[in-house]
Amino acid sequence: MIEFQRVSMAYPNGVTALKNINLAVEQGEFVFLVGESGAGKSTLIRLLCRELLPTEGSIKVHGRDIARLKRREVPFFRRNIGVVFQDFRLLENRTVYENVAFAMQVVGATGREMRRRVPDALQLVGLAAKAKMKPLELSGGEQQRVCLARAIVNQPSLIIADEPTGNLDPRTSMGIMDALKTINIRGTTVIMASHDKEIVDAMRQRVLVLDGGKVVRDERRGVYCQHAN
Amino acid sequence: MLIRNGLHYIKEAFNSVYRNGWMSFASIGVVAVTLFILGSFILLNINVEYIAEDIKQQVQIVAFVDESLAPDEVDSLRVSLIRLEKVEEVRFVSREDALERLKEELGPLVEGFEGRERNPLRDSFEIRAIIPEDIPALAKEVAELPGIARVDYGRGVVEQLFSITGVVRWIGIVFMIGLALTAMFLIANTIKLTVNARAKEIMIMKYVGATEWFVRWPFLIEGVLLGFFGALLPTVLLILVYSEAVAWTSLNLHFLPLVSPGMVIMELAQLLLVLGTVIGGIGSLVSMRRFLKV
Repeated sequence: MIEFQRVSMAYPNGVTALKNINLAVEQGEFVFLVGESGAGKSTLIRLLCRELLPTEGSIKVHGRDIARLKRREVPFFRRNIGVVFQDFRLLENRTVYENVAFAMQVVGATGREMRRRVPDALQLVGLAAKAKMKPLELSGGEQQRVCLARAIVNQPSLIIADEPTGNLDPRTSMGIMDALKTINIRGTTVIMASHDKEIVDAMRQRVLVLDGGKVVRDERRGVYCQHAN
Repeated sequence: MLIRNGLHYIKEAFNSVYRNGWMSFASIGVVAVTLFILGSFILLNINVEYIAEDIKQQVQIVAFVDESLAPDEVDSLRVSLIRLEKVEEVRFVSREDALERLKEELGPLVEGFEGRERNPLRDSFEIRAIIPEDIPALAKEVAELPGIARVDYGRGVVEQLFSITGVVRWIGIVFMIGLALTAMFLIANTIKLTVNARAKEIMIMKYVGATEWFVRWPFLIEGVLLGFFGALLPTVLLILVYSEAVAWTSLNLHFLPLVSPGMVIMELAQLLLVLGTVIGGIGSLVSMRRFLKV
């Protein structure tokens, strides 16, 4: 589903963030991206969202080289991806329901579709009862669930989560991971960058370790640190 | 899809004007104040031009006729004057008429000059040019005609008047362009604040796959709304104030010719409303450009 071929990425200021990355992710996989700050996790995620273009190599999603997408095709490409941010990025002056519906509105969904799918998405993340509340009335974990519901409501084939549990306590984090796992079991590919050793170790999913812009380890049912094995 | 989106854009734009209450108020205020100043200046400029034009229209050439000319020769001289290309109007003033005028102006001082022999004045032609600026050149042509003794048009004063009105016109144009640019800059900056306040919203839209125009339309409509309402206020105010000012002047300063409100207000209203709307729209598009690069 996702294929990186000899991908390198250097920023205009000369910093090389990724060096000669080769990797493939199959549909339905759950992949952790781990590594120190500056290892290249965020760059890899931004490349996948086509926020950045690689300086070398090609990135194919569903067989299509995303560097070759025309500017006007980019929004339609992004509709296949749900993004979850560490800092939630919710609209504070709108309700939980409206925040999730917003993602559907943007892609031109009808009111009927929204009334059907928004409650489903909220149900999946366990927030059906809080649809009418504003984000600031919710706990951090609940806000992240809203973000998750917003990411899945358009039924993307890929969820990209950039440190989704970075601001949450361990128990709340596990709740978010359960929700992500549920989404993954339904067939959605999940790529998640994380610093959280406990979570990565508990999930026993594929782990890609980045260091200095290179993939230094790729394990099918891996853990955060190699010496922990 | 098209209608649904269109309704969505308009609804979003109105919602945003309402949600960003104070910011909208500030934008409308800035548009209103700048366009009021611009509008006042335009009216001032139009009137200065109008007055200058009025003064120019009063400038004329007086061509004195050689005393030796017979009446039929004077008549043919008149015909050749009318045939001159730049001439708008030629009026014959006989020496008797001239003396009458002088008497009216000076009274008893000119007593005793009556009668053909005693009248020291000459027959003359008062000539107006189609374009007042042509008067010096026309005066030269007239002076070269046989039978013209002397030509008078206030040499020096006329040239000065024309160059002053020219300068006034240019200053006016420069000021108006300057004010229009200032208005655009101020409005764009104010709208930029409303856009800044919603940077997060734009970013989320881009991440969930909104097309660029889906993001732009509500902002464009919002800018247009702010610009339009901002222009409406000074337009109405200027119309009221100007009508009053013209009414007052015609009663109290009737020597000062002002352009009648009917002649200018429709055009001024159109100009200000279009300017406000266009500036609002462009300002909003320009301010949000950098947020679209996600």
